[in-house]
Amino acid sequence: MKTFSSIQQLLGTLNREQKLLSELFEKRKILSFNYDYALELVDFDADKISALIDYSVVRQNGNNVELDDLYLQFFEQVMEVNEEINVSYINEHIQNIKQGIIYYLQENNETRKYSYLRQVKQALRKIGTIAFRNVVDLNRNIDNTFKNEPNYKIKKTKLEHLDEKRHTIYALINQTDHLVSGEEEQTFFKVASDEELNRIIIVLKLQLNECRHNLIDIQKQIIEYLNRIKHQSGVIEKLRQIKYLKDQFELKSKTDIVALLAENTAVVFEPNPTYPLNVPLDQLQTDDDARDVILKVRKRIKTNIKSNMPLMGSIGGEYLETNIEEEIQINLDEVKNGFIAGSNNLFDFICNYDFGKEVTFDECVTIYCQMISQFDTLFKITDVYNSKQDVEFAMVYPK
Amino acid sequence: MPVPKHTSDIFEILSKGQFICSNSCKDTTRKLYNIIDENFDDLYDYFKAINLVLEKGDEYYMFTRLENKTDLERKIEAAFKWIDILDFFKTFDHSFGAGYRFTPSDILIKLSVDVDLKNKLEGLKKYAGGKEKHSEILEKVLDQLRRDNFIDLENEISNSYKTLSSFHYLERLILSINIPESVQNEILK
Repeated sequence: MKTFSSIQQLLGTLNREQKLLSELFEKRKILSFNYDYALELVDFDADKISALIDYSVVRQNGNNVELDDLYLQFFEQVMEVNEEINVSYINEHIQNIKQGIIYYLQENNETRKYSYLRQVKQALRKIGTIAFRNVVDLNRNIDNTFKNEPNYKIKKTKLEHLDEKRHTIYALINQTDHLVSGEEEQTFFKVASDEELNRIIIVLKLQLNECRHNLIDIQKQIIEYLNRIKHQSGVIEKLRQIKYLKDQFELKSKTDIVALLAENTAVVFEPNPTYPLNVPLDQLQTDDDARDVILKVRKRIKTNIKSNMPLMGSIGGEYLETNIEEEIQINLDEVKNGFIAGSNNLFDFICNYDFGKEVTFDECVTIYCQMISQFDTLFKITDVYNSKQDVEFAMVYPK
Repeated sequence: MPVPKHTSDIFEILSKGQFICSNSCKDTTRKLYNIIDENFDDLYDYFKAINLVLEKGDEYYMFTRLENKTDLERKIEAAFKWIDILDFFKTFDHSFGAGYRFTPSDILIKLSVDVDLKNKLEGLKKYAGGKEKHSEILEKVLDQLRRDNFIDLENEISNSYKTLSSFHYLERLILSINIPESVQNEILK
């Protein structure tokens, strides 16, 4: 078997033999397309057909030719022409297989026997693909019907028909499965079993299995679609009746809507709740935004009442006069400087010092103590004591 | 009782009579939905203590009360309004329901080819607060639905709306109204 090395080559070959290929495609549902007819279509050039067979575009089956499954599938899928779900097609194949098996068992001539075997193999190979394609088409048709069919009744009937088809396909798949499991034609499958047949059967079984899974899903889908149609048309029908009654103003008297709504406590029916909460006073007084809010509210609430702003009384003249109060502070530094410059002892010096104000004896004592504690390094404190007005003090001289 | 820290957000939305939907356009609301989903029992007990029942619907959450607080008149008024609005949208498209996407212009276009729809929109005028133009009535109605959390503005640029799963609640309400069989037969005539 050759393979195409490039797309150009593939398209070139297909284009060259387009007459034959389109004819084969049109007649794909007829099982046998005679080799001689095919020869006529390619201007009696047998090489052209054999080249196609070499590239497995076309398959030769005894005296018949047909499009290879790969290309057949490709054409059908691209052109979406397999809308018709032909269940009888599978059935026909099953019958063919059964007949082929009978012929095979009855035929004595080896070569002819072999060609029957080939026929059976061919049919087996195709049956899986056909079943699979049917399933895909069924799925698409169901989807299309559900989405595009505007008439409810037709939609429902169509879906029910498709469901029947699904049922038939399922039965046929089971039948095929039963057949290839070798339960019916035990002799044939024991006698004729060779490598190729086994492989075909395995592939077929896998395909059938997949089909079955798909069908289960399709069944689910149909049930769902039917339910939805039922629900939708149910709602619409009910709605029409209710609307009719409503327009006749009879809805309340003739149905149980009042009782129904009386029991219904859904929050949906309630007006939108508002939760008026008091504003915290603290926030009103401190928050900056609060002032804007108050002004905004103020703008909205316009009252005609003009409030009289209470005026303050005039400020008395005595508050505006400037009062000067003098207080004399004793500058200890100044006193120290004066003391160091002289030679008198400290206590007498303080008592005689002119502070600019009357200084009592007690204050003199305080100043004396303050001076010593602040400037003791600058003074010479002697052990000689003197006393004045019952106060004993040390004689302190400048250094 | 440990409750998730988003409890106050959940309360904030639900106590206004709004819904928390799984298919909300807002990321935060979807997140809240998941949070309720995971902590349903805790939150249920928590809100129960303040007389609110957290109710789980089809892909939405809402509050109901233990005892009735709203007067019947108001509820009937609201229910009537919803019936009218629902009828309008279901006339616009039979499949109008949770997850449905639409733009006001879709509806306005259909108005010119569907007299029934036009009549129904004009019937909604009483909820539109004195608006006269079709587009304005529609806008008002959509605005009300949006405020009640039944639809959500999905795309501001294309002005496209999405119907939220809380719409199931309206449908459930409609379905729960019983029409006696004799009356049904009368309607069919």
